Amino acid sequence: MNDVGVEVVLTSGRTLKQGQTMELGKLNQKYFEAVAICEVDKSTLEALGLEEGEPVKVKTATGSVVVACKLDRRAEPGIAFMPCGPWANAVLDSDTIESGMPRFKDMDAKLIAAKGEKVPSAEDLLKAIVEVP
Amino acid sequence: MTEVFEDQVCPFCGCLCDDIRLEVENGKVVKNDNGCAISKAKFLNHHDDRIESPTVKKSAVSLDDAIDKAVEILASAKRPLIYGLSSTENDAHREAYKIAETLGGVVDNTSSVCHGPTILGVQESGEAAGSLAEVKNRADTIIYWGSNPQFAHPRHLSRYVRVQGEYIKDAKADRKIWVFDIRKTISANVADEFVKLAPGGDLELIGALRAIVRGHPLDVEEAGGVSIEKITEIAEALKGTKYGILFFGLGLTQSKGRHRNIDAAIRLVQDLNAYTKWNMMPMRGHFNVAGANKTSTWQTGYPFAVDYAKGYPRYQPGEYTAVDMLVNKEADVMLNIAADPAAHFPRAAIRHMSTIPVINIDPKRNMTSLLAEVNIPVALSGIECDGSAVRMDGLPLYLRKVVDPPDGVLPDRDVLKMIHTKLRKVVK
Ligand code: SF4
Repeated sequence: MNDVGVEVVLTSGRTLKQGQTMELGKLNQKYFEAVAICEVDKSTLEALGLEEGEPVKVKTATGSVVVACKLDRRAEPGIAFMPCGPWANAVLDSDTIESGMPRFKDMDAKLIAAKGEKVPSAEDLLKAIVEVP
Repeated sequence: MTEVFEDQVCPFCGCLCDDIRLEVENGKVVKNDNGCAISKAKFLNHHDDRIESPTVKKSAVSLDDAIDKAVEILASAKRPLIYGLSSTENDAHREAYKIAETLGGVVDNTSSVCHGPTILGVQESGEAAGSLAEVKNRADTIIYWGSNPQFAHPRHLSRYVRVQGEYIKDAKADRKIWVFDIRKTISANVADEFVKLAPGGDLELIGALRAIVRGHPLDVEEAGGVSIEKITEIAEALKGTKYGILFFGLGLTQSKGRHRNIDAAIRLVQDLNAYTKWNMMPMRGHFNVAGANKTSTWQTGYPFAVDYAKGYPRYQPGEYTAVDMLVNKEADVMLNIAADPAAHFPRAAIRHMSTIPVINIDPKRNMTSLLAEVNIPVALSGIECDGSAVRMDGLPLYLRKVVDPPDGVLPDRDVLKMIHTKLRKVVK
């Protein structure tokens, strides 16, 4: 598989839409649309050859997940953002360095264009996580 | 008929806004005035996407049968983990601690993945605490560090910062807002000053700020991605404040350094108090995660990560914290209350959850309910049942009930009490 991509620091956090849509239901389509995304700046989108909304694979040392890419006009190159939730956590390092807290912020990640690949639903993502041998 | 509730507390985020006006018709909240977009979504959709019936292995059962099954699973556990608690009221917490004690299990709350490092920092360096009312009435310098209130606490600025106070006549001219973050967030857009730091550079920047505040010149060009000139300018501004408040979010607790970042921030605030008045406050996320820390401390002696295996409470973050208990494959049963760990834990933790029986007590369907062997639906705290919760500054507030829960659905505290009563009969 073509693994050429853009290296970024991946961070996660709340968004207004994430907060609003989780109250509609975590298995709801609107929550999926608000949370299964990765926000990047314009130059990163261009380097990946992606239009907004197209699938991008986010890969870290822990694993990878396909989400929809989104343009953040305030963003600068080098940092990608995912709303906190199942998709961001799928690539999160579980080591808490004896603190109880995994590293939800500043993870080294690579973004790879994933045209044609499907963004997994919450159910599919959960299945993929638990079914790994 | 329309029933109106004035000054209702919003049970979503740690702001616990207590000025919400609700209109209720036919057992449903139909209007929310004053609440932010998230508050409106929570109140107006409280009846949507609920767990419709107690279930065991996805089959609908009676509440009694679900409780019997939960008791059977818990009674046979060797290393049970009881987790969650941040989205329910204080009385439910008490029952959860009783279950942990009866079982000799571990009880942890969601602060282990939000402000747990804050607590560790406080235990190391002391707590600099003030109230939100003080901020509103006195603060002329406001810092949001690693926090994006416009998204996570949408009314924080409008209720406490961009508002007139006793000694702050002009909210715009008399207060200065700084945002410290690794990216230009929407909150950075509304701040007077935005300081962009390098990812993971918090500890270094705080250390440099401390040195300069204490008058030690630094022989480097930058620290944490910020130039020494800028850091000197910031240090002078912080010292020249009349009343400063450092609000900090998960950008500080979840990044490289974890509790060391908080420890350093507390020391910075201590240093600044040699010159003027400074306080700090964690921007607590879930509406009662601060309450979970309080009730846990009242009843077990410790704020989170508590183990009763020896018959008395012991405290060890990094070991008795939920993510570690799961990633280390220690827990053999999980009782989850008012949280969604399957959506918010790293994959190694979720994978272990999928191999052990999970008992899930929550009003709504979510990732954890998909995975759980036993699901028990409950009432929504602060909408369908009353109780108390603790605001981010430590103020307890009373949550009122405004509508009845669906038929046969009980508050968390009642379900947990039923489980505990039965457990005591079967566990020695
Ligand atoms: S800021 Fe928080 S507590 Fe206040 S209305 Fe919005 S969600 Fe509710």
